[in-house]
Amino acid sequence: MKARLAALAVTVWLAPGLGFAQSAPGTMRPYDTLPDWSGAWQMVGGTVFDRATQTGEGGATSVGVRSHPPYNAEWEAIYKSHLERRDKNLFPDTISNCGVPAGFPRHFNLPDPYEFVIRPEQVWVLTENGPNVLRIYTDGRKHLEDQWATYTGDSVGHWEGDTLVFTTVALKGFRDKDVILDRTGLVLSDQSHTTTRIRKIDPKTIQVEMTIEDPKALTKPWVVTKQFQKMPAGTRVYDYGCAENNRNPADVDTGKTLILGPDGKPLNK
Amino acid sequence: MRTPAFLGALVMVTSLTSSAPAAAHHSGAGFNSEKVIELSGTIKEFQFTNPHTWIQLFVEDDKGVKVEWSIEWGSPNSLGRQGIRPSTFPPGAKVTIRLRPMINGAPAGGFVGAKFADGKTVGRWE
Repeated sequence: MKARLAALAVTVWLAPGLGFAQSAPGTMRPYDTLPDWSGAWQMVGGTVFDRATQTGEGGATSVGVRSHPPYNAEWEAIYKSHLERRDKNLFPDTISNCGVPAGFPRHFNLPDPYEFVIRPEQVWVLTENGPNVLRIYTDGRKHLEDQWATYTGDSVGHWEGDTLVFTTVALKGFRDKDVILDRTGLVLSDQSHTTTRIRKIDPKTIQVEMTIEDPKALTKPWVVTKQFQKMPAGTRVYDYGCAENNRNPADVDTGKTLILGPDGKPLNK
Repeated sequence: MRTPAFLGALVMVTSLTSSAPAAAHHSGAGFNSEKVIELSGTIKEFQFTNPHTWIQLFVEDDKGVKVEWSIEWGSPNSLGRQGIRPSTFPPGAKVTIRLRPMINGAPAGGFVGAKFADGKTVGRWE
């Protein structure tokens, strides 16, 4: 199988007409030299985005669990207003209504299994929760100069030994108020961009180190490290049909997360 | 709608401060994380669905009126990987369920554990 995939990789490498108009052939690593990140992986700890600064007990929904990111005064005020609303259960999780991706960098702050799929020309980071897909092009292409902003942005990178290094740009951030980093109301602007380094630090741990820069919201680069532990061999990953039976939508008027009874009416309006 | 008096008549099992029930999709802020109550009743339906599962339980209140409770649990994917199946709570089964009740007294809560008439337990029941 591996030999067949390697042959495919060579075929792609030798076929510039396959749509990789901006690729730079020759920069891709042969498949057999790439690391093995197969299997299912689960994020270590709760969904607090920056656990390194966690100062108290509790998870992402608890009050005052960590120090603030290096926000400037304007974005510190925005974040504090989100915290106040969160404490009243009036700050909705943007994914509660099952309509939008988690976005980047929240992509690395989700519960449930992750999968890292490596090919010479691309790496996919798949999350069951959502589901979400992060595509990282490693075929030598560059970011588009006129790339429009999206939830997950545009990621291009390369390998440094067994470390995947990539940059992510063209992010919506909190521009349209539908991307957060965690449920404390942590947000970034539409000017944020990130350099991420991913490597396996031991056979059962993948580490993701993100250096986030945001000239609109942050006063200095913000480095956040997340770790993912390998799940038991044979772990299956399933559909996450968020809209299948969502009994916890956010109230569009108040932002309150509702709990629906069997008749579909809120029990906590 | 349940009254505080009705909830007060239920058995208070313990006071736990651990995280909300496997609520990956939302905060679970509507549930009382400090309190666990115990309900005995009959399974109406186990909604083994995304993003969260729900156990619908018929319980008779202190006036003999049948009330439908909605008890939220984790995602079917996560529970499925732990061996839980749609058949774990079959309709008609008699069961006692421990849950973190809603703060406002509505008939719903977050699942903690369950014990069937034959002694079989599911979730946390120690």
